[in-house]
Amino acid sequence: MAEQLLTGLKVLECGNLVSAPYLGKLLADLGAEVIKLEEPGGDSARGRGPFPGDTPHPEKSGLFLYLNANKLGATLNLRTPHGRGLLQSLCSQADLLIHNYRPPEMAGLGLDFDTLRRTNPGLIMTTISYFGCTGPYRDYHAFELTASNAGGWAFISPGASDYADLPPLKAFGHQADFQGGVHAAVASLGAYYHRLLSGQGQHVDVSIQECIAAILEMNFTHYTYAGNETSRLGRRSIFPWCMLDCQDGKLFVINVEEDQWQRLVELMGNPEWATLEIFEDRVQRGLNYDALFPLLQEWAANWKVADLYKAGQERRICMAPVNTMADLFASEHLKAREFFTTISHQVAGTLDYPGAPFKVSEGGVETPRPAPLLGEHNEAVYCGQLGLSGDELADLKQRGII
Amino acid sequence: MSSSRPLDGIRVLDFTWAWAGPYCTLQMAHMGAQVIRIESEKRPCVTRLIPPFADDQPGPNRAGYFNQYSQGKKSIQLDLGRPEAVEIVKKLAAQSDIVVQNFSAGAIERMGFGYDTLSQLKPDLIMISICGYGQTGPERKYMGYGPASVPLAGISSLSGYRDKGPAEVGISYGDPNAGIFGAFAALAALAYRQRTGRGVHVDLALWEALLVLMPEGLMDYAMNKTQAERDGNHDPWMAPHGCFKCRGDADKWVTIVCGSDAEWQALCRAIGQPELASDKRFANATARKANEDALEDILSAWTAQRDRWEVTEVLQQAGVAAFPSMSNKDMATDPHLEARGYLVRKDHPEFSPRVHAGIPWQMSDTPCEVRAAAPLRGQHTDEVLGELLGMSEAEIQQLRDGQVLT
Repeated sequence: MAEQLLTGLKVLECGNLVSAPYLGKLLADLGAEVIKLEEPGGDSARGRGPFPGDTPHPEKSGLFLYLNANKLGATLNLRTPHGRGLLQSLCSQADLLIHNYRPPEMAGLGLDFDTLRRTNPGLIMTTISYFGCTGPYRDYHAFELTASNAGGWAFISPGASDYADLPPLKAFGHQADFQGGVHAAVASLGAYYHRLLSGQGQHVDVSIQECIAAILEMNFTHYTYAGNETSRLGRRSIFPWCMLDCQDGKLFVINVEEDQWQRLVELMGNPEWATLEIFEDRVQRGLNYDALFPLLQEWAANWKVADLYKAGQERRICMAPVNTMADLFASEHLKAREFFTTISHQVAGTLDYPGAPFKVSEGGVETPRPAPLLGEHNEAVYCGQLGLSGDELADLKQRGII
Repeated sequence: MSSSRPLDGIRVLDFTWAWAGPYCTLQMAHMGAQVIRIESEKRPCVTRLIPPFADDQPGPNRAGYFNQYSQGKKSIQLDLGRPEAVEIVKKLAAQSDIVVQNFSAGAIERMGFGYDTLSQLKPDLIMISICGYGQTGPERKYMGYGPASVPLAGISSLSGYRDKGPAEVGISYGDPNAGIFGAFAALAALAYRQRTGRGVHVDLALWEALLVLMPEGLMDYAMNKTQAERDGNHDPWMAPHGCFKCRGDADKWVTIVCGSDAEWQALCRAIGQPELASDKRFANATARKANEDALEDILSAWTAQRDRWEVTEVLQQAGVAAFPSMSNKDMATDPHLEARGYLVRKDHPEFSPRVHAGIPWQMSDTPCEVRAAAPLRGQHTDEVLGELLGMSEAEIQQLRDGQVLT
């Protein structure tokens, strides 16, 4: 197999659901050897869909299959002393241990870094938690929804909302958990680079709340610079910035610079109303949104999405179709870039998965391997790597340790 | 060794503007890399021009947006249209480890700083190129701003209140997301360079970097050729799962989530309604999902009489996930974030220190810290030209007189 960016990096993942498993996936897709250690009952992502035909099955969760491709999978019960001993043995052979157990549970599960590093001074341990390993909220319970609100994101979402009685809105899926995973990947690789130079390991503590607070655009400083508390209600300060209904779907349009507006006016056939003073710059257009929006909408209604998208973009006006999942699988651009990737799994079958987040000139994603069945690589991990016998493996299984 | 930072000694040449690229190089500055941002007053970064400004007084060095995402970086001012500036950039590239740019596809090649050119000057150079649609493909020249990448990636068609239209998500999400993936790619490439001695060019599209965060939607379509209806804050598998209005008329909300029957039963006891724990309508997750409206009415009636922090305390004590929906003000004044050292205040020459969001991770042995406030535009021009390129004061003055450093 060709050398990949992270060939040689040995990772142990005690990950559940999304954040730490996604960190593991990012590393595995670039060539790291990732051993995923699941509790004997399995990662709880196995219990969440999507499932084929909406019928739950632990080997058919679309979320689990996606997050865990390219990994080896073994089971390990960290709630037993023997299980924690096995973790320690595995850690002595690893570069990086990643997990997303809650901070107050860590010591009891053998995830005590000071103990682990004694057997392997080069070990890096990355902890992803919702509120971090220190501070007054460290023991708090949270889920994706909690985090997208605790980080200040949901309060300003969806933005420009008319519905004062409707609550802050989370984005679809597990965006906060994913951000925790990618930010943790950056921090973990920073620690790994330091280790390549120095041999020194360390503990990396990643707070998902803080990852979200870091991506609030100018909102954080709206308060600290000018004393303004921002919310999801109100209007965009610039306009056009909206979705328009075309004949066959919705199209998003945004004009940031004045020349883009001028080109939009031209595309609309230079209507007389566009010369009105109330539309003369982006601030005026923002203030007079109520007058402008119906005029734009009336014009867009004559177009098909694909035609207007192309006509706009060819004039360098930023537009985007409001794509459905079906639209994405049909995109010629994504096909040309070979974005989707096909993976065959012995239980879930052959499916097209989302592919790599970026292309690299060399050292990129190899042909992906399917996500492991529960405990699929127990023998490879415990006998192959730790040197246990078949009898010992059977005994571990019988005692509920793996 | 123990007090060094992970990227000490790494130099980043930063051509970026707006948000995606600057968020990428911010991560490198956080880890100790020397990030040199190239700016020009002829083409100012949009984030220097839009509110908020310190004390509501506009000025290129007073913009909160720019200052948040340029913490700890250096700024040099160069008019890249001038041949002297092109030579300076090439000399800087030859001394850099990583180049990051987020111009539209093809632009940096036209400027003379494409990967093929720069990697001849520095054979193991790592270059991160970020744009809306990627460097290849039929739509590569299309404009792809961060807000537009959200509907483009299908996030809008799945996000939104029940029975309302597709929604945006309140931030230009495609931008910081591309930035953080760019930082990940750069660090993976650094490990590769350390092992192989080879550089790498990364082609990163805002669109694709968002698509990889949509597995629930995309895998559902791959399996079932369908997509789910928009359903606000609800979850397909858990209930309760929502934001509930708290006491008073103000816009104050608290989130409550139960991930198991045990957590639901603990909630019932904590809110003083233990009879709900044996109510068949709410006996398990399936039942609670089926009777979610009734469940939410009960919880709303309880939260409506309470402060959001009181709700948080009562439910967290019982082991139930509850937390306020935080505003920017809540974040900037939060005692937990303060205790963790997340809130950063650095001196600035033009106004009193402001709070910024800091570094979302902590490292035990190579502590990361924001070293300085964001640079004034061109603050480090003389320092960089002098110290890195060995130019004399007279040479720098000559460039300045010739309008190269503008």
